[in-house]
Amino acid sequence: MKFEHFLYRILDSRRNKWIVIGLVLLALMGSVMMIPTKLVLAKMLPGKSANTLTVYIDTATNASIKETQQVAQCVVNELEKEPEVTDMEVFLGQGAPLDYAGLVKGSAFKRFQNQAEVVVNLTDKHKRDEPSFMMVHRLRPQIQKTCGSLLPSTNIKFIEMPSGPPTLATIVVELYAKSDEQLRTMAGKVSQLLSKTEGLVDVDVMMDDIYKTYMLSPNKEKIIRSALSVDQVNKIIYLAFKGMPVAEKNTKNQQDQIPIFLRLNTESRMIDGESRRTLKNKLSSLRLMNQKGMMVPVTEVVDIKEVDSSPTIFRKDLKNMAIITAECDMVSQVYPLLEARDKMLDVLKDQYTIEKVPGITTYMFDLKAKDKLTGEEILIRWDGEMKVSLDTFRDLGGAFIAALILMFLLMVVYYKSFVLSGIVLAGSFLSIIGVIVGHWVTDKISLAFTDTNFFLTATSLIGFISLMGISARGSLLLIDFSKSLMQEGHEKKRAIAIATATRAKPILMTAVAIILGSLLLSTDPIFGGLGIALIFGSIAATLVALFFIPVLMDGAKAMDPHAGKECGEGEVFDEEEHLCVLTDNLKTILFPEKHNKDCDEEK
Amino acid sequence: MELYKIKNIAGHLSKAFLSNPLTPILAIAILLLGFVSLQTMPREEDPQIEVSGGAVMVALPGASPKEVLNVVVKPLERRIREIKGVEHVYGTAMNNFGIVNVQYFIGEDRESSNLKLYDKVMQNMDQLPKGTMPPLVKPFDIDIDIPILTAAFYQLPNVQPNVVELYQTIRELQQEINALDNVSKTTLKGVKRPQFNVLIDLHKLSAYHISLGQVAQAIKSISTNAPMIDTVNNKGKMVVFGVENAIDTIDDLRELIIAQYMGSPIYLKNIAEVDYNYDIQNYQESLIAYQKGMDKDPEAVREHEEKEEGSEGEGHAAVSFRSLTSQITLTVSKLKGTNAVYIAEEAIEKIQEAKKKLNNAGVGFIITRNYGVRADEAVNELVHHLEITIFIIMLILIPFLGWRESMVVTVAVPMILATTLFIAQLTDQTINRITLFAFLLSLGLIVDDAIIVIENIHRRLHLDIDKKSVDEIIVQATDEIGPSTNIATIAIILTMVPMAFVGGMMGQFMKPIPLNVPVGLAVSLFVAYVFAPYMARKFINFKKIKAEVIAHHKKEQGEVQEDATGKEEKGK
Repeated sequence: MKFEHFLYRILDSRRNKWIVIGLVLLALMGSVMMIPTKLVLAKMLPGKSANTLTVYIDTATNASIKETQQVAQCVVNELEKEPEVTDMEVFLGQGAPLDYAGLVKGSAFKRFQNQAEVVVNLTDKHKRDEPSFMMVHRLRPQIQKTCGSLLPSTNIKFIEMPSGPPTLATIVVELYAKSDEQLRTMAGKVSQLLSKTEGLVDVDVMMDDIYKTYMLSPNKEKIIRSALSVDQVNKIIYLAFKGMPVAEKNTKNQQDQIPIFLRLNTESRMIDGESRRTLKNKLSSLRLMNQKGMMVPVTEVVDIKEVDSSPTIFRKDLKNMAIITAECDMVSQVYPLLEARDKMLDVLKDQYTIEKVPGITTYMFDLKAKDKLTGEEILIRWDGEMKVSLDTFRDLGGAFIAALILMFLLMVVYYKSFVLSGIVLAGSFLSIIGVIVGHWVTDKISLAFTDTNFFLTATSLIGFISLMGISARGSLLLIDFSKSLMQEGHEKKRAIAIATATRAKPILMTAVAIILGSLLLSTDPIFGGLGIALIFGSIAATLVALFFIPVLMDGAKAMDPHAGKECGEGEVFDEEEHLCVLTDNLKTILFPEKHNKDCDEEK
Repeated sequence: MELYKIKNIAGHLSKAFLSNPLTPILAIAILLLGFVSLQTMPREEDPQIEVSGGAVMVALPGASPKEVLNVVVKPLERRIREIKGVEHVYGTAMNNFGIVNVQYFIGEDRESSNLKLYDKVMQNMDQLPKGTMPPLVKPFDIDIDIPILTAAFYQLPNVQPNVVELYQTIRELQQEINALDNVSKTTLKGVKRPQFNVLIDLHKLSAYHISLGQVAQAIKSISTNAPMIDTVNNKGKMVVFGVENAIDTIDDLRELIIAQYMGSPIYLKNIAEVDYNYDIQNYQESLIAYQKGMDKDPEAVREHEEKEEGSEGEGHAAVSFRSLTSQITLTVSKLKGTNAVYIAEEAIEKIQEAKKKLNNAGVGFIITRNYGVRADEAVNELVHHLEITIFIIMLILIPFLGWRESMVVTVAVPMILATTLFIAQLTDQTINRITLFAFLLSLGLIVDDAIIVIENIHRRLHLDIDKKSVDEIIVQATDEIGPSTNIATIAIILTMVPMAFVGGMMGQFMKPIPLNVPVGLAVSLFVAYVFAPYMARKFINFKKIKAEVIAHHKKEQGEVQEDATGKEEKGK
């Protein structure tokens, strides 16, 4: 057996053993360093090609449905040039039928004239060359440029089907402050910063624009003198310009009542121009009848004032808040976020004293800014997919540590030795080399062929966790075999070499099964990370099991049959029995004819 | 020859089932159960995420956002904050209106969360400010709120558009679909409801010296509905009579006398345009633009079938669209835990049935969303992947073990998956992408146990076939690998268990993995100990092995002596 001799040569020389240990440590360091050096990029979940995408249109807060429709029409016209688009549904002044994304993006609450959604159905994804996320990547700047500039403060967002759990947006910046003005100015600054950051698109401030409105303030004296009431004034003005159903009629052949709706006709209610004067002209022709049956023009009893609109107030957890959202364009959210945060620190430091949130929490990117002049505080909090990712990575990391501890305890119960359990664990943990290097290789391949990045995702981490159990199996078999061989009377190094060489075949076999089994997984956009982790992780685990574990075993005193308290000669019965199985197994391999005799003795 | 003493549960199991006539029946039953589960389990694309939350909406007409904030939103937020399990409270104060959104921690029980919210609001009804309308409590419900099917109905080209008629046709269809089993809610988006519109000309109004209030009053006073009156006549019989609504047709409304002017009556038609139309004040609108050809054969366009024929010359053939037309979208939601695939199919069938009627009425339709098909596709694709993977694993095992042995492994895998699937159905799970990924992930793990058992049987047979009975060898081989296989499998199960405690959306999303992989692994042990030995006994050609082994022994006896002498020389 060539492999056996090769192993024995490694084990026999102290220098060779150190070379193996050095190589493993180097590989470990090298691969772990790939993450901070951004050779391997992290992201929660990658994009998924879908048959549907949605375009959210938000025009200025005081835009009319006509203006919104104009933008929607423009978007539709642009999309009609795409041969892959089959049909589009435009929903004006309302949200499209809910989907996963819309559920958290507040689609169900849309009911204003400045809101619209366009559902775009594409041809079947299997028959289409271009994945939907690439299509969005290509169309986004084009459509935003053409249609976004039609009207001021128009925001056009492209919503893709989330491949995992939906979030409000990939990047969400929440600002908390007491005064609205401060929120407004800060929101402006933050959104500007985000728009300038490379890789971030669809930046939107969820805040109403302030626009001019006219307030009709009833002149109390005049109203009383002309024998009218304020209530009457309100109602008639509303009835005239907005209209309302004044009565209902039941029908026999329909499911609904038919309302009778009263309003001024189009010509009468049309106000030409936007100035106060035209409004006054229009109102002057509207007359109210007082209790005495006399007609009084509305303008006689009200004064028209110009005021700013009062924007909607948003609050979260009992604090006033402003939200700025942004999406990532084909890049991981981690790096643009850090870049934007650095810039923010730079820009804000003149006006504010900035405090970072200490410690490592999932809110660790938060900033506390204190205005140098007024002393007002504002909290800048990062939320959205980043927060979910951090939470998930934290939880999965916790799960990983729990898995390590559980496995360690199980091994301790099995071997009754901390060192041997440690060896099994070390073997499992080293599969991380394969996981990271695998992602790097796949990223390079993916970039070369499809021009998309392959990210280290949450599913990669799941793959890594499940790998631990798999690679533990290899180490477990090796240790068991070597121990029994040593009990057979083989010298330690020789026993390890023989065991590793004989066990190499089943270890390889299961590894090949996992690799082939995961091949199809790795083509999936979401579970690709898991597949890659399993494939490259098991390659690494196999190499570690065949070369590194023997070296560790050789160094472990617990391997010696009489050193530890393991199944030796004068052991308690059940433990003896437990060992007996293994020895039996080996005896049959090595000394088939001796086997029967041994069994007799034991009885 | 003495009997082998069984030491592990593995041996006991294999012995008990090895020559039991019920074993194959059990195996077939398991496979059947798995198949039935695969067919009947509710299918969805994404797993259920228990998101509990709701919105409380309070209208306070005439109040500015600041007023709404102080009077409605702030007190409400404080009260809702008192509820246990609330993660975030979002308050929105706008003109005339305040909304408080409640988001519970992910995984909180939805029903009790909804009750708690409702309870809290009702308890504090007395504290609501004067002038507010009764608060509206709307819980979120993913199942009911996310439609699985949407269809857009539109007026066909060349047909005089009539939105009201379109609405009436669809409304009838909606009623039919709503009557289907397991359909929970259907809605119509972009509807234009029939309405009598009275649009008043301001100039005429002032000319006739009439105020707007008078007109409203006049209409209101004439269109009242009263219940029928029943009374008994002098002969003891029942007499029923009632007052009819004075407005029956649009003409009744037109002929309504509003006032007298200079002695002559002024009818409503004199001062206003009165017509029977749709609700003009409703600015919400749904439109559709579609590729020409979608109306005839949507599948062909979606699947690019046309293109394949004519793609050679033109490449990107210019597509032509029908310009935006108004439409009504019908949405269909399903009840929780029901099969999206079947419901979508039934609903589409209903729509297809009505196709002729619709076309006659000048209405065409396009199915714009079908989660049923999507779920079915996703599930079928993954089942296909599973099959391919099983096949690949079988292929690579052949050179290692021989084809009969690898057949045993290949049969063992569907049995494990079938049992796991059945257990998943019993525990109220659904088949979705993540469940199937859990299966794909576990595939690499669950074959191991069967491989190890079969490999050991294979090896043992080649060692001992001439000395022991086949049954004994099989039991012994299974028993030997018992302890290490058990411990290794438990180790893998242990690594998966902590994943069940991952919180948040992601934890919920991934839940099928920690739920199903450990079950699959445990089942794989059982199958490896119970069925693998049984199948090995049935499938493996023992005579051939025996002949081989005997031949080998004879050959070896000669070689062994040579070997021994060779080794001795080396040692020296």
